[in-house]
Amino acid sequence: MKKLIPILFVVAVLTACQKEPSLSKLDDDYVVFTDYDKSADFGEYITYYLPDSVLLITNEEKATYWTNDEADYILETFADNMADRGFVLVDTKEEADLGLQVSYIEDVRYFVDYPNSCWWWGYPGYWGPGYWGPYWSSWYYPYPVVYSYSVNSFLAELVDLTDKTGTNKRLNVLWDSYMAGLKSSSARMNRDLVIQAIDQSFVQSPYLTNQ
Amino acid sequence: MKTIKHISLWVVAAVFMVVVPTRGNAQNVSTSYFNVDWQFNAPIGNSFADKPSGWGMNFEGGYYVMPKMAIGAFISYHTNNKYIDRQTLTLSGSSALTTDQQHSLFQLPFGVLAKYRYTTGGIFEPYTTLKLGANYSRMSSYLQAWELYDDSWGFTISPEIGVSIFPSPNLRYGFHLAMYYNYTTNKSKVLTYDIDGRNNLGFRVGVSF
Repeated sequence: MKKLIPILFVVAVLTACQKEPSLSKLDDDYVVFTDYDKSADFGEYITYYLPDSVLLITNEEKATYWTNDEADYILETFADNMADRGFVLVDTKEEADLGLQVSYIEDVRYFVDYPNSCWWWGYPGYWGPGYWGPYWSSWYYPYPVVYSYSVNSFLAELVDLTDKTGTNKRLNVLWDSYMAGLKSSSARMNRDLVIQAIDQSFVQSPYLTNQ
Repeated sequence: MKTIKHISLWVVAAVFMVVVPTRGNAQNVSTSYFNVDWQFNAPIGNSFADKPSGWGMNFEGGYYVMPKMAIGAFISYHTNNKYIDRQTLTLSGSSALTTDQQHSLFQLPFGVLAKYRYTTGGIFEPYTTLKLGANYSRMSSYLQAWELYDDSWGFTISPEIGVSIFPSPNLRYGFHLAMYYNYTTNKSKVLTYDIDGRNNLGFRVGVSF
């Protein structure tokens, strides 16, 4: 057995000789990942509610949001795509069949701290289930959440608000989109890349329609 | 690239320091040999990372149990990369991923060898070698900030033909040229890509002593 040790040592040293490919060849477009609940029938949903801000997930204790100019083009792009798929935007959560929440991940510290599927518990100011009404007390993904979080990422989640009865129910996430990319020094380019990524989320989710 | 070159040069230097003092200037037929090679490798039969490259080296040595027959050991490593243009992958029945990728296939076979040389003591020493052993491999896909990978182990077999060239046969320090085929049984999967076994063709250029 002792004779194997130097051999394994050499193997371990040479493993470090792997030549990593040049990442500069990768394009600037965002990586776009989508998933959904296969048991959901999106044809049964008509209306949806879209908050007027984007939650910033940072390393700060206090929740912060993008509003107005910082968030408008993002939310408008989601709204345009939802309209194209036949969903009607309403003014209040109570009227809505679906809720669409958008977050921007500026720091991954909180995600690192919560590696299980309930990582959002304890994050101050996150879209808690209670945000969508007094009926829900916990989140539920009917499908495995497999993405890995990184900085400069957007997370959009579409939740089911149809059953507004009772309390302590699970709030089902029917669809989610995770969009991540490198941040450019050009605000214009960042904006274009985000819009392109949101559009791509819908392109690769043809089931997300009530038409 | 600089890191790999530096590591390789250190390994070559270390081999020389260990080996050279143990070998005299054999006027007779040598009883042992060492090869240190740069290698060019082309994976065949898979489209994951089939772009040929020169990112690899080979180290081997042996002892002649008979004048023309040696047994010994080898270790080598190689990386092949390939850029994959942006596309949408269906990962499961419900999830989809749109991205471009850099694929990478790293292989590190090592084990024992049997070598037969057809002549002894001359300038040209043609030979045939059969190598058997284990192969560690990492199959990776790089997407911007992430590396998705699958490590695997397999069995490897590799026939090789080549020639050692000793400009001054008495000194037994010369050059080495070889062509090889390599098959390993590694199985791995990353995203929607599966590789069951690996086939490689390549050549080696180096020093022999």
